[in-house]
Amino acid sequence: MRWLYDPSRPQQTLSVKLLSINWPLVALITTVACIGFALLYSAGNGNWYPWASRQAVRFLVAVLVMLAVAVVDIRLWLRVAYGFYAVTILLLIAVELRGAIGMGAQRWIDLGVIQIQPSEFMKIALVMVLARYFNGLPSEDIGKPWKLVVPALLILAPAAMVLKQPDLGTATMLVISGAAMFFLAGVRLWTFGVVLAAAAAVVPFAWHHLRDYQKKRILTFLNPESDPLGAGYHSLQAKIAVGSGGISGKGFLSGTQAHLSFLPERQTDFIFTILGEEFGMVGGLMLLVLYAVVFVYGYAIAFRSRSHFGRLLAFGITTNLFLYVFINVAMVIGLLPVVGVPLPLVSYGGTSMLTVMFGFGLLMSVYVHRDVRISRHGEAES
Amino acid sequence: MTRPTDDLRDDPCRPRHYRPPASAPVPPEGPAQDAIELSHTRLLITGALFLLAFIVIGARLVEVAGFKAGDVHFASSRAAAKPLATRADIVDRNGVLLATTLDAPSLFANPKLIDDKRGAARKLAAILPKLTESEIYERLNSDKSFVWLDRRLTPRQENAVNRLGIAGLQFQGEGKRVYPEGHLTAHVVGYVGVDDNGLAGIERSFDQTLMRGDQPVPLSLDVRLQYILRSEIARQMTEFKAIGAAGVIMDVRDGEVLALVSLPDFDPADPGAASPAELFNRAALGTYEMGSVLKIFNTAMVLDDRVATLGSSFDATKPLQVGRFVIHDYEPKKRWLTVPEIFEYSSNIGSARMAAEAGADRQRAFFTRLDLLHAPAFELPEGTPLYPNPWRPINVMTIAFGHGVSISPLQLAAGASAVVNGGVYYPPTVIKRTDGTPPNGHRVISATTSTDMRRLMRLVVEGGTGRLAGGSGYLIGGKTGTAEKDADGHYETHKLLSSFLGVFPINDPRFLVLVMLDEPHGDVRTSGFATGGMVAAPAVKRIVMRMAPIVGIPPIDQNSPEIRRSLMVGLPNPQGRKLAAN
Repeated sequence: MRWLYDPSRPQQTLSVKLLSINWPLVALITTVACIGFALLYSAGNGNWYPWASRQAVRFLVAVLVMLAVAVVDIRLWLRVAYGFYAVTILLLIAVELRGAIGMGAQRWIDLGVIQIQPSEFMKIALVMVLARYFNGLPSEDIGKPWKLVVPALLILAPAAMVLKQPDLGTATMLVISGAAMFFLAGVRLWTFGVVLAAAAAVVPFAWHHLRDYQKKRILTFLNPESDPLGAGYHSLQAKIAVGSGGISGKGFLSGTQAHLSFLPERQTDFIFTILGEEFGMVGGLMLLVLYAVVFVYGYAIAFRSRSHFGRLLAFGITTNLFLYVFINVAMVIGLLPVVGVPLPLVSYGGTSMLTVMFGFGLLMSVYVHRDVRISRHGEAES
Repeated sequence: MTRPTDDLRDDPCRPRHYRPPASAPVPPEGPAQDAIELSHTRLLITGALFLLAFIVIGARLVEVAGFKAGDVHFASSRAAAKPLATRADIVDRNGVLLATTLDAPSLFANPKLIDDKRGAARKLAAILPKLTESEIYERLNSDKSFVWLDRRLTPRQENAVNRLGIAGLQFQGEGKRVYPEGHLTAHVVGYVGVDDNGLAGIERSFDQTLMRGDQPVPLSLDVRLQYILRSEIARQMTEFKAIGAAGVIMDVRDGEVLALVSLPDFDPADPGAASPAELFNRAALGTYEMGSVLKIFNTAMVLDDRVATLGSSFDATKPLQVGRFVIHDYEPKKRWLTVPEIFEYSSNIGSARMAAEAGADRQRAFFTRLDLLHAPAFELPEGTPLYPNPWRPINVMTIAFGHGVSISPLQLAAGASAVVNGGVYYPPTVIKRTDGTPPNGHRVISATTSTDMRRLMRLVVEGGTGRLAGGSGYLIGGKTGTAEKDADGHYETHKLLSSFLGVFPINDPRFLVLVMLDEPHGDVRTSGFATGGMVAAPAVKRIVMRMAPIVGIPPIDQNSPEIRRSLMVGLPNPQGRKLAAN
């Protein structure tokens, strides 16, 4: 119970902590999730089963997880960061060795009761471990390049493993959110310049190592009309679906593209198409605005946090969520190649829901403990 | 930041009596303070960048969504400016495009104007994949002043040919018929020939209207229901290895066909590749001896003409011998059955006795009133029904359970709609009724008989041969049909025509769903049976469950008192058993 009630801060009892949770943000999250239920109801052709009902149950469980994570003292999350990261790495290795293969990619571990996707957990674990590392790094050391080798490896190791699954979308997200945390931690700008230049030099080499389907998707992205029935099918149909919604959409349950099975897997990564088709541009923009408000909350919490760890954590989590939304929507409307990234809170899927809500829990924990000062070694200073 | 006491004061959790400790934390100074400011700055920069990214996808969303509005505008202004009408579109009842015409120019050449014929042939061969270089050269190397090269070029090909800049190549503006829904509506929409003349379906029957090209032709079809119907029928057809299948969804209140499917079907863009079996429309053009579903008509006739009442009983103790024929029951009850029981258990013997009581004249007149003895005025080619001439007593008995007359599934649907909708027959149509008022129907049975028939049809699903259509959460009523197919004058036990005709909600009918499978084969799950109740009824149930949310019919609590009362079969039978929908 020490992590729930801190004797050195007697004013923060459990009930006070619960009260001090950012409830407007909880309401906002619930609103977005409810939009998700409605879309899944529509994706099931007007049935709660099989998607909407299960998703709602998952969300309720995930809300409890979120609240539990929120009231736990933030210093515990700092303590367990390395352990959590190590376990997730082990899970990734386990996937590599004996994971279930779904749709040609090896991403799942079957635990009997549930199947989990460790690459989703890694998004959170990476943020936690980087926040801890930079929290412990004296500010004058940030300019020393060799001090950045360890965190760079912390990013690249899981990214490489995820890329091998192969899951280009998640790998990209890991690298970008890691880089964003480097940026916030105060890494010198020239370092980014050097890394970008090096990356550009590696591209032709990396292209060689991409899977055929990945190459095809990137090429298709550059010119989707070249193969409208094959690799370009998904992005083209998605664009048709969103485009056919027009300004205000065709009305709830009235979309044809999504309902007539033109779009397979419409309940997961392509759920935004249902929104676009049935609620049109207005519906799509409204969801984007809701997400934007969530991110503003996230960054405001990061800004307000008094500890470096909390700031980095809140920033990393929010950036991750932003990347989820951005990559997913950009993919659906044809701004990015098709990669498997779900729309947080809305797409059907258990691991992603749990990860996202766990992330929100950490964000809330930063908010609840915004005035806790944390030393470089993870102890409270006051 | 620099005044720690203020920092603590803004802590909402701080109790009023709490005083900050004397050793308040010292504000960070020097490099630490710089680091915090740097991270704050960078936080704001990142936030702003991400906001910008969101604005970009928002703008793109507006562009993608707005594209459609702009496109429509463009299309309409072009249509107004164009003197020569292109063939009109065909749309479904909600305006979803089923057939449209795109510009696709044809390329011809005047060989006399072309100097470098070899070079021209080589360059053209690279653009026109249908032709080889030597074929093109052969055509160009003639002394005519007009040769066709290729028809229906894509805009890209047209552009490429223009860019060659070869004199003597010219285009003839032509349209290319495109069917966005492909197979889905092939049998209704039909297809066109090379010169855009309608050869089948609506394309054929509305050829003149479509050629005038001013207005899209709106069909009564709802492409969403069409999709549901087709996918469920296709599933049954595969599962039970049937050679074909047909389905109809009809609005019983005005005879509008909301979905009409015949399988196997074809790609209307390439009808030449389709086999005759695929081109054949089983739902409208095919006529079949439909079997026991025709007991709907037989029972309605007997009740409406007061030949019998719901309380009357008929002898079904043993098979009925008529001349050299013997009429059997599939599930013999070997006792006297009431009219509701005869319907519920689909007793052939009982039905035959009921019909015999009514007589040939009544039966023939009743079938005529229901438009079952001649092809109705329908927009698609209709099969001509077959019926016996002369109409002998044995025919009367077999027609009672659906052998001896051949009608199309569409006719069956239209007739059954009249039986359940309160007793008024509306001619079926695939064209959307625009004025909102139902067409002039004619009364075929009384409203009371219609109500009785609904209750009997509910019995079939509650406890009779159509049990597998029950339990959907919607009130379905219906009738099964399993007919042995006629092969060279005798009936084959193993070649069946299995169907289920469902109506819902049966207490206030709005939709009729008919599913028919041609030569299905039973499997382990159906214990080898391939009867209408086994193979067609589950499909109707699934179709209803999928379409009900779309057409806005809520699920119902079938055990509520009002529903039970409205479906109660009123008269006690001779054994004193009260037949309730249970």
